[in-house]
Amino acid sequence: MSQELQGDKRVEQFIPPEGVPIHLAVASLGARLGAQCLDLLFTFIVVFVCAVVIIFSGFLSSQAEIMLVILMAFLFRTPYYILSELIWNGRTLGKRITGIRVVNINGRRLTPHQVTARNLMKEVEIFTPLTLIFSIGSMHMLESGFTILWLVIIIIVPLANRRRQRLGDIIAGTLVVDNPRSVLLADLAVSSPSALSSQAGFEFLPEHLDVYGKYELQTLEDVLRDPTKGPSNEETIQIVRTIVRKIRYDDPVKPGQELLFLSAFYRAQREHLETLRLFGTRRENKFHSDSKDPGIIGPAV
Amino acid sequence: MTDIGIDDRIDMGAKPDTAAAQTDTLRSARFRMERESHWRQLDQLVTRAEKGGASELSYDEIRNLAAGYRQAMNSLSVARDISLDRALIAYLESLCARAYLVVYAPQESLGGLTARLLIRGIPQAVRRSALPLFIGFLALILGAAAGYRLCASDPSWFYTFVPPEMADQRTPDASVEYLRSTLYGDERHDSDKLASFSTFLFSHNTTIVILIFTLGIFVSVPSFALTFYNGLILGAFFAMFYQKGLGYDVFAWLSIHGVTELAAISIACAGGARLGLAVLLPGARSRREALRHQAHDAIKLAILAAFMLVVAAFIEGFLRQLIQDPTLRLTIGWGMGLFWMVWLLFSGRERKPSGEPAR
Repeated sequence: MSQELQGDKRVEQFIPPEGVPIHLAVASLGARLGAQCLDLLFTFIVVFVCAVVIIFSGFLSSQAEIMLVILMAFLFRTPYYILSELIWNGRTLGKRITGIRVVNINGRRLTPHQVTARNLMKEVEIFTPLTLIFSIGSMHMLESGFTILWLVIIIIVPLANRRRQRLGDIIAGTLVVDNPRSVLLADLAVSSPSALSSQAGFEFLPEHLDVYGKYELQTLEDVLRDPTKGPSNEETIQIVRTIVRKIRYDDPVKPGQELLFLSAFYRAQREHLETLRLFGTRRENKFHSDSKDPGIIGPAV
Repeated sequence: MTDIGIDDRIDMGAKPDTAAAQTDTLRSARFRMERESHWRQLDQLVTRAEKGGASELSYDEIRNLAAGYRQAMNSLSVARDISLDRALIAYLESLCARAYLVVYAPQESLGGLTARLLIRGIPQAVRRSALPLFIGFLALILGAAAGYRLCASDPSWFYTFVPPEMADQRTPDASVEYLRSTLYGDERHDSDKLASFSTFLFSHNTTIVILIFTLGIFVSVPSFALTFYNGLILGAFFAMFYQKGLGYDVFAWLSIHGVTELAAISIACAGGARLGLAVLLPGARSRREALRHQAHDAIKLAILAAFMLVVAAFIEGFLRQLIQDPTLRLTIGWGMGLFWMVWLLFSGRERKPSGEPAR
C-alpha cells in the first residue's frame, strides 16, 4: 500500500491478487459530504412517507403508531447503509450519485463485516452528533464542551490522515475512492496528421531526440490533446520555437505547420524513447537523472 | 516481458485494422491496435455489471468478464513497461480498476448472509465472548444491587440516579395507587403520555446501547460505567416500587420486556468490553490489529444487541399493553429469555471441535 499525489488528487495503490498494481483516487471530502447529505435526505423521506401512511391508515392506537414510527426510523438508519453497501458493492444511493465508493484497503473484496463495522460507527460519527447539535442550546457548560470536543475530534480525524479515512473506515479497514471512469482517447502516433502525411518532411536525427525524456514527451501529449491550442495559437508557436532551439533543429518550420511539426516530433520522440526503454534505459526527464534500475534489466548503456 | 500473447479463447471481437498496423511501426501503437477490441468488449461488460450487478450477465459473459479482466491486467502491466502514451495507460488503469471492482464484488446473496449470521455467526461469537459477557452482566447486576441498596436505605437517592423526564412522576413521593396505575395500563392514565414515555424509553435505550458499544474502545471504562448507571436506575426503580408493596407487580412489568432489553444492554456492554480489552491487552498483536481482530466478534454482539432491542421494543409497545396479568407477563418475559439462551448456546455448533471458526 503506497500513496502518491497526482495533480491535486491523492492516489492510493492497490495490489489485487493478480499482482498488477492499480491506482484509485481517494474521494474528496466534498463528494463524501454530498453523498451523506443525499442519503440522509432519502432515508428521511422514506420514514416520513411511512409515518404518513401509518398515521392516516389509522389501524393502530396512537401509542402503537408512535412506537412504530420510532422503530421505523431506527430500522432505516444504519441498516439502510449496511444493506445498500452490501447489495451495490460499497455504494449507497448517495454514493452512486456523487460517483464514489467504498473499497477494501488491502485489495481484496469488501467483506460484510467491514461494511457493518464502518456503518455502525456512523452512529457515533454522524447521527449522535447531529442530534446533539440540535439540543446544544439546552445543555450545561460541561455537556456542551464535551459535545464540541466530540465534534472537533470527528471532524479532525478525516482531515488529519492522508487517506481521508473517518474513524469507521480506520476500524473497518476501508477507504472511500472515486469511481473510476474510463475514456480511451485516440493514439496520437496513429491518428495525428503527420502519420497520415509523413511526407511532410520532418526528419529527426538521434541527436535531436536525445534531449528530452518521458516527462517532456507526456507534457507535449497534453498540449497536442488540448483542443484550445489551434495551429495559430501563440503558445503553440512558442513551444515549437523552444523545441527547435533546444534540440538544435536545422530546418525552418514554416508558419502554419507548427502542429504538424509537433505531432511529427511527438511520434519520433516516442519511438526513440520506447526503443531505448526496450534496451533497459528509462529516461524520465531532460536531466537524464532518473534510471531506476540501471544495468539490471538491460545492458549498461 | 516474454509472453504478451492473447488468450485466443476470448478472441471474438472484430479483427484489428491490419492495414493501419502495417503502415505504423511504433511498437506501443501496434500493441494497442491488437488489443483494443478486447478492451472495449470488457468495457461494455463492466459497464453492464456496474449498472445492474453481475446477475445481469449470462454464464458466457461472466466467463468473458473474468478472462477479459486478466487479459486487461496483463495489458496494463505490459503497457506500463513499453508504452509512453499516457492516454492509453490512463485508460487501462481505470478499466482495470473498474473490472477489478466488479470481479472482486461480494458474491453472496443477502439471504444466505443473514442466515449464516443468525445460525452460526452470532451464536459462535457469543460463545467466544464469555469474559466480556461476564463483565457486561456484572456491570448491570452490580449497578442494580447498588441502586437497590442505596434507595432502600434512603429514598432520596432516587432523585440522584433517575433523571426526572425518565421518572415521569413515578417517584418515592407518588401514591401507591398512582404507581400501580403506571404498571397496569389503567383507564385513568393519559395514554398519550404513556406512549410518548415508552417511545422516549426506546430511543433512550438505543442511544445508550450504541454509546455503550462504541465508547468501549476507550479501554471499556465508559461501557462499564454506562451499564453500571443503567443498573443503578433499575435498582432504584425496583427499590421504590418494592417499598410501596408492589415488588411482584413491578418485577412482572419489568420482566416482560426487560429480560430481553437488559440482556441487550449487557451484550452491548460485552461488545464494548471486547473492543476495550483489545486496546488494554493486545497480546502479541499491535493495538490496531488487535482492535481489528476483536471487532469481528464485537460487531456481531452489537448486531445481536440491536436485534434484541427491536424485539424488546415490540414487546414493550404492543404486548405489554395487551397483557395485564402479572403471571403471564412473567412467563412471556422469561420464556423469551429461555429462547435467547437456547439459540445462543446451541445454534451453529460444529460437529468437529477442530472446525475453523466462521467469520
